[in-house]
Amino acid sequence: MALHIICCVKQVPDPETPASQFRVDEAAKKVIPAPGIAPVPSQFDTIGVEAALRIRDALGDVKISVVSMGPDSFRDAIKHCLAMGADDGYLINDPALHEADHWVTAQVLAAAIQKLAPFDLVITGRQAVDWDMGVVGPTLAELLGIPCVTIAKDVKVQDGKVVVERVLLDGFETVEAPLPAVVTVSNELGEPRYPQLRQIMMAARKQVTVWTAADLGLNPAQLQNRVNVEALYIPETKVETEFIEGDTVEEKVDRLLQRLREAKLI
Amino acid sequence: MAIEVKVRSPQLRLLLAGLSFFVAVALVPLVAALVVIAASQGMGEATRQVFFNIAKWARIFVYALTAAILLVLAYGPLSRLRLWLIGKREDRWDRPWERARFFLLYGIGQGRMPNDLYAGLMHLLIFWGWTFLFIGTVMLAFHDDFVEYLEGHVYLGYSLALDLAGVAATVGILMALYRRYLWKHPKMRLGSLWDDVALLWLMLAILLTGFVIEGMRVGMTELQGATIDVHGGIASDPNWAPWSPIGFLIGKAALESGASQGFMELLHKSLWWLHLAMATGWVAWVGYGKISHILLGSANIFLRKLSPTGAALAGTALPPIADFETAERFGAGYLRDFTWKQLMDVDVCVRCGRCEAHCPAYNTGKELTPMGFLQDIKRYLTEAGPRLLAARRKGEEVKEERAIAGDVVSFNTIWDCVTCGACEYQCPLFIEHIPKLMDMRRYLVMEQASMPETAQATLMQLEQRGHPWRGTQLTRTTWIEELAREGVEVPMFDGSQEYLYWVGCTGALQERNVRVTKAIVRLLLQAGVSFGVLGAEETCSGDPARRLGNEYLFQMQAQQNIETFKAKGVKKVIANCPHCFNTIRHEYPQLDGRFEVVHHTQLFAQLVAEGRLEPRTINELWGFPVTYHDPCYLARHNNIMGEPRQLLAAMDLETVEMERHRGHTFCCGAGGGHMWVEESKGQRINHVRTAEAAGTGARVIAVACPFCLQMFEEGVGSVPEAARKGMQVLDVAELLERSVAYSRAAATR
Repeated sequence: MALHIICCVKQVPDPETPASQFRVDEAAKKVIPAPGIAPVPSQFDTIGVEAALRIRDALGDVKISVVSMGPDSFRDAIKHCLAMGADDGYLINDPALHEADHWVTAQVLAAAIQKLAPFDLVITGRQAVDWDMGVVGPTLAELLGIPCVTIAKDVKVQDGKVVVERVLLDGFETVEAPLPAVVTVSNELGEPRYPQLRQIMMAARKQVTVWTAADLGLNPAQLQNRVNVEALYIPETKVETEFIEGDTVEEKVDRLLQRLREAKLI
Repeated sequence: MAIEVKVRSPQLRLLLAGLSFFVAVALVPLVAALVVIAASQGMGEATRQVFFNIAKWARIFVYALTAAILLVLAYGPLSRLRLWLIGKREDRWDRPWERARFFLLYGIGQGRMPNDLYAGLMHLLIFWGWTFLFIGTVMLAFHDDFVEYLEGHVYLGYSLALDLAGVAATVGILMALYRRYLWKHPKMRLGSLWDDVALLWLMLAILLTGFVIEGMRVGMTELQGATIDVHGGIASDPNWAPWSPIGFLIGKAALESGASQGFMELLHKSLWWLHLAMATGWVAWVGYGKISHILLGSANIFLRKLSPTGAALAGTALPPIADFETAERFGAGYLRDFTWKQLMDVDVCVRCGRCEAHCPAYNTGKELTPMGFLQDIKRYLTEAGPRLLAARRKGEEVKEERAIAGDVVSFNTIWDCVTCGACEYQCPLFIEHIPKLMDMRRYLVMEQASMPETAQATLMQLEQRGHPWRGTQLTRTTWIEELAREGVEVPMFDGSQEYLYWVGCTGALQERNVRVTKAIVRLLLQAGVSFGVLGAEETCSGDPARRLGNEYLFQMQAQQNIETFKAKGVKKVIANCPHCFNTIRHEYPQLDGRFEVVHHTQLFAQLVAEGRLEPRTINELWGFPVTYHDPCYLARHNNIMGEPRQLLAAMDLETVEMERHRGHTFCCGAGGGHMWVEESKGQRINHVRTAEAAGTGARVIAVACPFCLQMFEEGVGSVPEAARKGMQVLDVAELLERSVAYSRAAATR
């Protein structure tokens, strides 16, 4: 029977936006999109799709579904994954969910994944490259009640198990988990593949299924964010220069050492 | 060993191309003058006996043999033609008069031969010598069987001309043998025993036996005043003999060494038959081996790609994929994906090595060799072609067909090309290398998604962000804001201005190139040129996407720009990037975008000529010579070589030329998307070129292309001989801006 892999993807503001163009609305605690710079699929998420495609390259009979939650523009991220080779795309687009934090996101995605059941493997990026929280994957596993392996550099499915090489600070470890499971992948896995033109053309014709919260049996009013953003601002970097004065070199060095000790730098 | 002489000066090359005709034309007055002298000596009866010392039936035999040989000859090209038809359709019959003119200039005129002086002269001698001998033989047959006109002074002139032609051909062949055996020239790397070696020796043998036969005949008849069987028998005259100078010398030598009449008869007769066999064998060979370039090469010149926009080379404007929805395959992966003309190209290559000698990839140790990949496809076409044809005829699946892209021609070969056009510029037979390599790239990218990692990253970058400069901290309007802070208002294009100044991604997004962009804008403002820019509305011209094989992305980007241009009422465009310039000029018309484009060096040369910009000698640079590097896409692909030099001359700068300049320029290494693609192996192309620039003694490298600027900036930091000298790299516009500013400062003092 075909293996079913579900990849979760997110669209993010282009991480390569020049710093001069990056602005936040401190009052609304929101990022202001840079003019003329299109959002892109979060890089770790496309690496997740690459991991799924590699499993399909190895096993053959694998169905890959892509799930995303966000406004209509997220369709582009899904289309990109379809062009890479994924089979189906699902977008949960509900205005009531546009302010969702990781907790609400994970609940919605979990509901979508259950709606797509049976499934064998859920793959997400280790973190989205906008907020860099890295919690949706593990939260999903918690909600689905299945094992979670994070920060993978290699994912294989063998004998009904998933075999994962996890990146550690000083190397890697190999972990096995029973299916179904959630795996979050890291950039050590390798570059996501370049879509072939025929697949791009096919992806352009494919329909992305759009669901609302109600379609998943969820009531947005009951989904409460757990993360509360207190403040959002671009940190200022200040450079202050102080000249240490003194009559002799020894005196200057003594005072310098004293200042460094006061600043707890030595 | 001998030193290879290369001709760089276009005037000299033109002169040498003229030499081709001269070799032929000089013979005529020379011979005519001598005939006048002969006339004064009264040799009105002079003629020769055709088929002297040869059996009567030989005449009929020769005609029958000729007919048979012509059939054998014709079978060769026809069997190749069948193989080419494996390829797709392509129309190469448009504009026949222009084609005929081309053929005269480059086929009969051998216009590209003198690019390599030694090989060119060698080829001209063989070509004209052999041509005269061939015409002479046909003339003789006509004389013998139809109208007897080779008599008296006409005959003497004829005989002298053919002897001289024979000498010319012999000298040419000896030059070729010297080049092959003693010089061991690297261009003959791919020589083959039969095709190259045996052919040369055969031609030498034909010439030498011809001379000996003539010598024996002259010795037995004219020198002895013997009666010959013409007009019922007339006496020959020893005074005729010197008009066949080589025959005269050989005949005289034979007589003086005491050769018997019987020996001379026997030698004449046996060599005559040998000569006949070899000559007819040679004619048959013309249908098959390397020598078939007489027919196929000529046809290839006639059938070359003609550009509607005046593109200099076939690789200047790549052919579009007309319909993605119905295309059976994107690009060329297998034999049948090439066009018949592309397969013909592969077949006509004679391995002369001129392309290879100029290829920046090959000369820095990469896998790509232009003649090598042609020969690889040719070998496979010869080996598998008949099998594929048979299967197609029977409507069967073709089994075990090898892919051309990635298998017969290696992955690295396809990706090493910088599309500089050196190969196409040199090829005497007008083989179109670049479109074949680019078609294979298209296949690898669009069908296989198989490309170097850096190429993939570049294409992703182009697709997502509309420019190739990943990680830039600038936007397309940063430089405009910076100029505004200096009090310079950059006009935005709104349709009321004459020109759109197309800044290009590099001009806007790379710090070093922004300085050039600003210099150009300041100069345009000073000269009072009516222009505007698009600012944030610019996107990549599409050149990198197209040359990295993603034709789909190219068409999207080009289409978007064309729409912007049309919506804003753009008619004339100034571009400072030769790649953008080339794409807008030659490739946008394919998508119905017709705009007049000038390169900034062209416009500035015009403004200086009109007195709207007044440059002066730049003191700070004076005393240090400047060398100008011709960008491939400006010089070779668009024939713009004079204007940048005019500007440097107007600034009164001391200039030195690199050995490879103008049309023979050597790529900086950044063409064909290679600005962003890592070189596969070997030396870095830009380091080789920077070292060449440093070798001229120049302290400043003047450029006219943003990629060249980037490449040389890196080069002068990494190449020790350039770094030691502290070489500077400046765009011609930057030099001009300083010069004009200096001039204005002097005027106000």
